Amino acid sequence: MAEGRHNPLLELRDIRKTYRTRRSLFGSGGREVVALNSVSLEIYHGEIFGLVGESGSGKTTVGRLIVRLEDPEQGSIRLEGVEVTKLRGKALRDFRRKVQMIFQDPYQSLNPQLSVFDTVSEPLTVHRIGNSSQREEQVRKALTAAGLSPPEDYVFRYPHQLSGGQRQRVAIARAMVLKPSFIVADEPTSMLDASISAQIFNILIEMREKLDATLLFITHSLAAARYLCDRIAVIYKGNLMEIGSADEIIQNPIHPYTRALLDALPRFGDCGEMKYYGTLLGREREYVEPSACPFFPRCRPADETKCSRDKPLLKEIFPSHFVACFEPDLKQAEGSGGDTCFYGT
Amino acid sequence: MLLEVENLSVGYQTKKGFLKAVEEVSFTLEKGKSLGLVGESGCGKTTIGMALMGLLPPNGAVTGGRVMFEGHDLLKMSERELRGIRWRKIAMIFQAAMNALNPVHRVDDQIAEAILTHNPQISKEEAVKQVEELFELVGIPKTRMRDYPHQYSGGMKQRAIIAMALACRPKLIIADEPTTALDVIVQHQILQETKNLQKEFNISIIFISHDISIVADVCHHIGIMYAGQLVEYGRREEVFNNPMHYYTKALLSSYPTLSREKKQLLPIPGDAPNLVEPPPGCRFCDRCSASGATCKTGPPEWVEITPTHRALCDRCLEDCGERKHKS
Repeated sequence: MAEGRHNPLLELRDIRKTYRTRRSLFGSGGREVVALNSVSLEIYHGEIFGLVGESGSGKTTVGRLIVRLEDPEQGSIRLEGVEVTKLRGKALRDFRRKVQMIFQDPYQSLNPQLSVFDTVSEPLTVHRIGNSSQREEQVRKALTAAGLSPPEDYVFRYPHQLSGGQRQRVAIARAMVLKPSFIVADEPTSMLDASISAQIFNILIEMREKLDATLLFITHSLAAARYLCDRIAVIYKGNLMEIGSADEIIQNPIHPYTRALLDALPRFGDCGEMKYYGTLLGREREYVEPSACPFFPRCRPADETKCSRDKPLLKEIFPSHFVACFEPDLKQAEGSGGDTCFYGT
Repeated sequence: MLLEVENLSVGYQTKKGFLKAVEEVSFTLEKGKSLGLVGESGCGKTTIGMALMGLLPPNGAVTGGRVMFEGHDLLKMSERELRGIRWRKIAMIFQAAMNALNPVHRVDDQIAEAILTHNPQISKEEAVKQVEELFELVGIPKTRMRDYPHQYSGGMKQRAIIAMALACRPKLIIADEPTTALDVIVQHQILQETKNLQKEFNISIIFISHDISIVADVCHHIGIMYAGQLVEYGRREEVFNNPMHYYTKALLSSYPTLSREKKQLLPIPGDAPNLVEPPPGCRFCDRCSASGATCKTGPPEWVEITPTHRALCDRCLEDCGERKHKS
């Protein structure tokens, strides 16, 4: 996606978001939890960008901020150069048409009282697009593109009559029907079986081609991100740890946390000599300064003095490969891995 | 042989008719070994686990077969006899087991209670000591024993449940999706620990999962299930390095690899058949890349590839013959 390098479609600058825990009945007030700590990202036109992290890393918060389900405390979000956080009225409505989200759980994201047709046509009605026959045609097209064909078999069904994979495809059709230019897909396959996940991945790739859309793919799995994404960012406790091209992150991971994630991927088949980094501490360090590197408590190669005091910033270590680590170990682990080594997603 | 399952069939009475959830499934499990049962949702894998424990819901019933556990048929036992075996000899870790902890009791009390219920002869102090040992085994620090479940992370809750399953030193553990909903790193740690515990106590485990990658590392044998039937069974290396059934092959190609060459994922087209009126022939043939005219008409036969590896597919050896000719 080199052609669009200079003008990112979406730009996040120093985003900070905190949540306050609920006050207890007698307590003096909630504790502040930092969900995102000065996160900056650029996503270019036409790319699928992967945001990889564990639960609680803040990855879903990034997605929710982008579609403006929430507002950041600090920082700016720009889509096509326009500040998103300040949009009001008609501009906001237009924005909502351009940006769509696919949620994690298709068992909860669909209204059980709406048929497939009503679900997919609702965004068109809300945005007053087309007349009824045009809408019908668009719903038909979206369903077919999402792999629900022939659409006639599905339009009158309700969510409870669909399997998990079919529901997620309805959710995708609903996101597609407005022809958005930016789509946030938040773990769209974590509730689905492997063979169904593969279908969803391939539909998302087709969707990018068909709609000329840009995608943010939020996932916990580096293997899934590698398959789907052009670039990957790894997030840990609200901090970006490593950003690079998908191949670079998988073949040449630098940050100890990325390496620990790769070590932990479940794998099977003919794996031969596998790379193993062993960067995760068996027992977490207990007393850690709040200013320390967020991964310091679990990091084996950490420098006890430096990493315990300050938080490293992202640095460009190889061209377009950024790592937030004071003393990154550039040496890669030995091992090739068999060609038929499969990974869980 | 610790467990021998022979031609087990289970069905559910539903509004649309009698649903044959599991049909003629046979496998064996030796002491200290583990078996992974893998299949997509609705293939009957959880039903097998429930049938073994005698915990089928009211509309479910075993319609045939034998389940021999230490020489006794579990299916012929009374509820009373089963209660003597459940938890003491066969423990089960359920799907989303972490929600099984009672939120208003401290974790160590809950596990001590489980121990006391099944061994009324031991004292409370003895039970608490056992809990301490169990927590050490599964890697929960002693300082967290007196916590309530909500103070635990997902991984710790899962560890506590594993501790509970180990409490009565069972011979067999049935673990149904034990790590679903856990993060990759935590999942990895728990799977490794399970493997160590299994070796240490010589426990047999049946792992049930929709995800091959989870069972691959911990299981000695793998059974692939499709639409209520076991379609391939063998040692782990045999099934992964030389998959014979076309469903297994298709399933494997829907997982990504991380090798330098990015491989296209090939999803399996179509849907699984309706199990109220299953097709007369091979149940996978509508989605199979190699199905022929004979596949649809009659049920497929088991083909033995090696003494420990078999597949329920008439055509799997034809392909194998071709491959041999080529090489």
